[in-house]
Amino acid sequence: MSSEVLVNPRGIFDRGALGVTLEAVPVLIERQRVRFFAQVLGETNLIHFDADVAHAAGHHDLVAPASFFMVVEAAANEERGRRALPSLLDVVVCDFRYLLHGDERYFYDAPIYAGEEVLFASKVVDFYDKKGGAMEFVVTESTITHPKRGVLMRSRRTLLHRLPDAKDGSR
Amino acid sequence: MSELDLSAAEVGATLPDVEFGPISRATLALYAGASGDHNPVHIDLDFAKAAGLPDVFAHGMLSFGVLTRVVTSWAGIGRLREFAARFVSITQVHDRITCKATIIEKFEAEGEQRLRLNLIATAQDGRETLNGHAVVAVS
Repeated sequence: MSSEVLVNPRGIFDRGALGVTLEAVPVLIERQRVRFFAQVLGETNLIHFDADVAHAAGHHDLVAPASFFMVVEAAANEERGRRALPSLLDVVVCDFRYLLHGDERYFYDAPIYAGEEVLFASKVVDFYDKKGGAMEFVVTESTITHPKRGVLMRSRRTLLHRLPDAKDGSR
Repeated sequence: MSELDLSAAEVGATLPDVEFGPISRATLALYAGASGDHNPVHIDLDFAKAAGLPDVFAHGMLSFGVLTRVVTSWAGIGRLREFAARFVSITQVHDRITCKATIIEKFEAEGEQRLRLNLIATAQDGRETLNGHAVVAVS
């Protein structure tokens, strides 16, 4: 996607973050977190709740639901905070007042199991603008890797700012 | 799950719908806690109003997560290869979401038979909130 405007005077994202790579931090996949997350989404498959059922279905442990990626990302951000490292949202400079999801694309290489420690790494791959600069977009890619099992999941996500009116700062 | 014969699935077939909601403020608070997404725009009305919004609104990834259930409850999460969705409109408090999937293609990739599914989530008034696609392995 090419940019309509090279520099967006209304933009909030830090375009200087293009190409920045955030090195991996470890995240423990907590069993109760898998259960809680699955429950809120209305999951009923017991592979997310009952280790015996998960084992019987051929899994090592409770299986994280398909959208658990973002739980790992949030946990990685917390871990980065404890290490005084910036999160991806810090690096690209997000303003929660105007921030929206554009799209999310996930690739599944292997299941994420409770009880495992995985590594979460990210990079900033693109910035672009639309509607004459009224909306700005950032594209990021992240990977969840297990030290022995290899890559488990990959994401490509677009976040956007629906920017406030340049004149008075309101929406 | 291994007994399920997805190879018999035909292009044009629809999967069983998943219904979710109505999405309450409590749902949003629980999702914030469960997901770790603490963006106050979803849980703090004061913050939302200060940002010029009429109310808090649902996490995009909440609807996304519900939409994945259409595919995983049918095929099993182990068969899932790809899941993608675009956020078309904001999901509001009290919305009831219906998630649908249709098989649109059979193809081969990386040595396995796969199905591509078209996905859509709509609110009770017919408003489309998400659309996307998923890829599942047949065998």
